[in-house]
Amino acid sequence: MLRSLRGCLPYAALLFLTAPVCAATGAPAEPLSPSDSRTSNGAEAPPAIEQLVGDKNNWGMAAKDYANTRYSELDQINAANVAQLQVAWMFSLGAVRGQEAAPLVINGVVYVVAPYAGPNPNQVFALALASGDLKWSYAPKPNSAAAGIACCDVVSRGLAYDKGKIFLNTLDGYSVALEAETGKELWHTRLGDINKGETITMAPVVVKDKVLVGNSGGEYGARGWLAAVDANSGKILWRAYSTGPDSEVLIGDDFKAPYPWMSGKDMGVQSWPPDKWKVGGGNAWGWISYDPELNLIYYGTGNPGAWNHETRPGDNLWSCAIFARNPDTGMAKWAYQIGPHDLWDYDEINENILVDLPIDNQVRKVLIHPGRNGYMYVLDRATGEVISADAFDNVNTISSIDLKSGRPVLNDSLTPQVGRTVRNVCPASPGAKDWQPSAWSPRTKLLYVPHQHICMNFLTGDVGYIAGTPYVGAEVDMFAGPGGYRGEFMAWDPVTKKKVWAITEQLPVWSGALVTKGDVAFYGTMDRWFKAVDANSGKVLWQFRAGSGFIGQPTTFAGADGRQYVAIISGVGGWSGAIAVAKIDPRVRNGALGFTGAMQDLPAHTVGGATLLVFALPTNKRDTADIAAPPK
Amino acid sequence: MVALIFRAPIRLTLLLLGIAAGLATVGPLSGSAQEGPALGSPKGDSGGDSAQSDALSPDRLIDVPIVNLTPGAVDVRPKLAIPNLDADAAQRGLQYFTNFNCVGCHMPNGGGGMGPALSFRPFIYGDRPENIYLSIHQGRPNGMPAWGTVIPEKLIWDIVAYVKNLSQAPAQEWGTTTSKTSPAIEQVPKEFKPSTAQPWNYTQKFSSGQAPNP
Repeated sequence: MLRSLRGCLPYAALLFLTAPVCAATGAPAEPLSPSDSRTSNGAEAPPAIEQLVGDKNNWGMAAKDYANTRYSELDQINAANVAQLQVAWMFSLGAVRGQEAAPLVINGVVYVVAPYAGPNPNQVFALALASGDLKWSYAPKPNSAAAGIACCDVVSRGLAYDKGKIFLNTLDGYSVALEAETGKELWHTRLGDINKGETITMAPVVVKDKVLVGNSGGEYGARGWLAAVDANSGKILWRAYSTGPDSEVLIGDDFKAPYPWMSGKDMGVQSWPPDKWKVGGGNAWGWISYDPELNLIYYGTGNPGAWNHETRPGDNLWSCAIFARNPDTGMAKWAYQIGPHDLWDYDEINENILVDLPIDNQVRKVLIHPGRNGYMYVLDRATGEVISADAFDNVNTISSIDLKSGRPVLNDSLTPQVGRTVRNVCPASPGAKDWQPSAWSPRTKLLYVPHQHICMNFLTGDVGYIAGTPYVGAEVDMFAGPGGYRGEFMAWDPVTKKKVWAITEQLPVWSGALVTKGDVAFYGTMDRWFKAVDANSGKVLWQFRAGSGFIGQPTTFAGADGRQYVAIISGVGGWSGAIAVAKIDPRVRNGALGFTGAMQDLPAHTVGGATLLVFALPTNKRDTADIAAPPK
Repeated sequence: MVALIFRAPIRLTLLLLGIAAGLATVGPLSGSAQEGPALGSPKGDSGGDSAQSDALSPDRLIDVPIVNLTPGAVDVRPKLAIPNLDADAAQRGLQYFTNFNCVGCHMPNGGGGMGPALSFRPFIYGDRPENIYLSIHQGRPNGMPAWGTVIPEKLIWDIVAYVKNLSQAPAQEWGTTTSKTSPAIEQVPKEFKPSTAQPWNYTQKFSSGQAPNP
């Protein structure tokens, strides 16, 4: 018995596991082929992100690849054997707030970043994949006041990597480069100012030696921007604002809006009352994708400030929009505003998945955008033209998207007025889907979408702008949508424009999704389950009960030992889960920008956590049998 | 006394109050801009001004501890004459709580969000009126701005009166039990009682994430 436990950690009982917790030793059930050799070798130059995005053994960026598919070609773990998945090792990040970051893996080293909390806010850790040994950690110089400038918990959505460097964004507005091998600081650049309400929570993306970083602060009237920082020097190469004159939005002669109502000079000024664009939000706090062939990056912008729409008559361009830009210059090629004159805080920063789809008998280069407003958009990614837009959840704020004009058809009976409570607005401010990223399988041709199902009451009120303080002007009270449940994990077919299957969850599904060639999709729930489901049927094949709820991003990769691993950080929080980790009163429904109402029972399911979990199949099935058998 | 009250850059304050009021096309705020100058005048509506200003001079306030641990177990708390924190003060405090965007962080009825909840105790930096006053005036490390140069003293005391009200939850137990059946009650949410400065006077059955029972 003892011998069979060699390499196994004695935690099984503590963790309520039915299977042993083994270190990465021995041969896998199905070894990876020798051709899967990796580039790491002291003599070779460290790999570039352009190589890693197509390398199944590594997970080099949060979204896996530039197309943002979160699809892995690994299939050692598959629908037939995923039920045997077990913990290989764990690591505590030491900061008990929302864990939204994606674990990256480059050549056998795991890189993770903690939220902006604990003794070392935004601490970065490098761990050896095979052993779980800590190689190094790095703690940026903190500014604790930043914690009070973050609207929705003090999260980080992850790191970026390129050519031997790790890139970190800090909540208090810095971008930092570290030597991936040693953790040595190479440069740091201040990009944002908390006294203007700016923070950074997004995972940077590296394209052509440029680190792309956007700011948060839409609840503080912080003017949105996306900046390109030189990966080698830390110098700011360009910064594209989301509002203001064309010269600052980086709109030039090459720009073409897909619809006439968005066309014209300085629309980022003209579509606002005088000077309001300066405090107009439109922050780029979400995902960035990149099409090397078209040489365009794609990202969405957030809500306009303030939430009280009566403070800002006009379309409020370019808030709640998608930009396509040339990464070399930052110049916009096209932009499409999903939410003209946003009424409800429907940021449109969600991921844009770049795929080629057969539509009306021709293959189109499209971008799929699961909208916060509850509509699944399919856009022509060369022009920004809307091909289709269909509701994927219960929506009563928008009755349809007019494909001729590209504008949403609004339900006018719900339009907020100061002093009048609007009841039962669906979806609520976090939308039918928030930041939590979807995954696309080229095998099933389905999009796996984690999302929420909540409605709200909404009362706007007066608000004045004071730099560095919130600029909202709305009292919000959210609650479960029709049917009483609050979350869903669904598979969506973007060609037939239909939901193929769905799993309802009692709480919002605030974790990201992952799907693999093994036809398994992964996601986590806020009530502490990490689940593997059949990508074709949605049948739950395996689940693991962790220490805290999940709001993170699952990733998968392979080690030099030939084993496939799946990783995610356990630790509830984020906007939806802040109630379980911050001093928020479940009895006062309008707290947490109204999310308290929908999450007031969360503390009865979980408290915060900070545990990186790394899973793999057992190395030896006999060991499993030995351990799993109850004592006779 | 006059000097003390006008120590704050009153023009900035009035500007901010004016912005808040001016943005409203409709709504109850239009009165506050006119009310502003009166509140800054030496003749406030709470009596005994001169005695209070002595008791609350910066020399005394700097002696207010924010912890209840003192070397030698000696009570070092200075005797202060706190202004009248009555219902009128709290009602005005509710207005300033909105005007100065306190509500943006601490949320309607102080339920907590970016800033901690004010709807239950203990307060991190002390729940006595002078502690709350100083937390507003000086700011606190994890994101609370230092408002002392922006909000006049008299208005800060009105906010203190309102914040004191926010934490008056019905007494249930010494600690806090959390379970599928506890807490048992919640406040009637702000969208249905927007103007009350006494939110704990209106409670209903806990809704567990479902729509509130009106």
